[in-house]
Amino acid sequence: MFDDPDARVGADASHLESCAECQARFKTIADDARSIATLLAAPERRVDMAAAFARVSGAQKARPVALALRLPAGRPALALVAAVAAAAVVVVAFAASGFFFQPTKVQAVPITLSDVQALSELANYGTLTWTKEPQFDVGGTAPTTGLQAPVVSKLPKGVSTTVTYGSLSQAVATFTFSEAKASAAAAAQGKSLPSLPRNIDGATLTITFGPAVGEVYGDMSRSTQQEINLPQLIVAKSVAPKVTSTQVTVADLKKVIGEMPGVSADLKKTINAISDKNDTLFIPVPVEYASSTSVTVQGVDGVALGDNTGVGSAVVWVKGGYVYAVAGSVKQSDAIDIANNLK
Amino acid sequence: MTAARSEAEAFEALFTAEYRRVVGIANRVLADAHEAEDVAQEVFMDFHRLHSATADYAPAWLHRAAAHSSLNRLRGARRRQKREIAQALEEDDRTVDPQRQAEIEEDRRRLREGLARLAPRPAAVLVLRASGLSYAEVAQALGVGVGQIGTLLRRAEETLRKEVDRGSSH
Repeated sequence: MFDDPDARVGADASHLESCAECQARFKTIADDARSIATLLAAPERRVDMAAAFARVSGAQKARPVALALRLPAGRPALALVAAVAAAAVVVVAFAASGFFFQPTKVQAVPITLSDVQALSELANYGTLTWTKEPQFDVGGTAPTTGLQAPVVSKLPKGVSTTVTYGSLSQAVATFTFSEAKASAAAAAQGKSLPSLPRNIDGATLTITFGPAVGEVYGDMSRSTQQEINLPQLIVAKSVAPKVTSTQVTVADLKKVIGEMPGVSADLKKTINAISDKNDTLFIPVPVEYASSTSVTVQGVDGVALGDNTGVGSAVVWVKGGYVYAVAGSVKQSDAIDIANNLK
Repeated sequence: MTAARSEAEAFEALFTAEYRRVVGIANRVLADAHEAEDVAQEVFMDFHRLHSATADYAPAWLHRAAAHSSLNRLRGARRRQKREIAQALEEDDRTVDPQRQAEIEEDRRRLREGLARLAPRPAAVLVLRASGLSYAEVAQALGVGVGQIGTLLRRAEETLRKEVDRGSSH
């Protein structure tokens, strides 16, 4: 606070000038901050940028799952969407407990941005790659995947009737466990690996997404790079994701990663948040930005997300082997109403 | 090919812009420039493996990862503290008289022990701010509102002070 000029303004500043008690407290805080800053000081050493860059850039680059989605850069909300999409990949993967998983219902799992970042630690124990990259097609006037798009029978007042179709091809992501990488990660912590199930080296977890189709209501041409202009309403339908594993069960993999030396509390917490219900699709909900409630949609359990930033709301549910979502800058009650009236 | 080249160029630009600062964050925690460089390089390698250098969140991710990775090392390596800080002091405080130097060394050792006992977020707030990041940059790195940083910092300083006092009374 002592180093933040904006922290002492207006009435607070005047009060501070005249109140001995507050001045004493402020001095204690400022002294603490100064002494900590001084004690944390460390001599800088010149760094050899060229050598460091050579070492770093020589490291093997895996195809990034999150960014292979190729979402437009330059917009914080979309960067968040990309991060949550990456979390969804892992959450879907770790929701499975046997060798095969296809969800029939949904449940929200709260995550924080630090959880999302922690998930990148999985790279220490194997590789997460697209074995079949998703292809997006946006801008058509009709769906192109062959999947029947849901029909909105009742639009709330004020939502544009201009519809743009988007589709996503089937995509497959694979996590391959590597005993060598796990060993190296353990060695970096000065520890040896815990006992591993037989056959775990090279065990794979394969997650299949889509195909999916979506309808976007609203004039998309108004969006610019500078402003986040979410479409008024998006209605999407996707074949429910499937997870399969080879060599060991998903529960085995989850247990092994949880027991790795050096695995962060964040990653452990994120993985443990996903229980072994093998019929449930977990929807990662970033707690900093949204809250979730359970709702009944089309006669089945669904998850309603309210956006704390005031940007909008969403409803997600699984029915008949498909995942449905209604989202946009509409009231939550409208989103639920649209969902219940989808044909 | 163009996309691959521009990604490589973007990574180099990101590295050039952020490497020194990432080393600086790790060095605040570890007080060991060599180990700080190790942490920084690991952080960049992790980032490079999984993320695009054009991502908006790249600097914030690197700062946060630098703080957390170096704090993790600190927690696992308290036994090495004395030697490391002694080395750092050798370069930093050559002109200080021996008794004063020993006191500073002891204070710094206690501070880093206290830091290692703090919860991840308050520890990261302190380290990032002490490394010269602005309130806005610290907020971005930790995914919290910039308005919360002052309060988080103050609480973290208070907790660290108590941790240091607790450590010295043992």
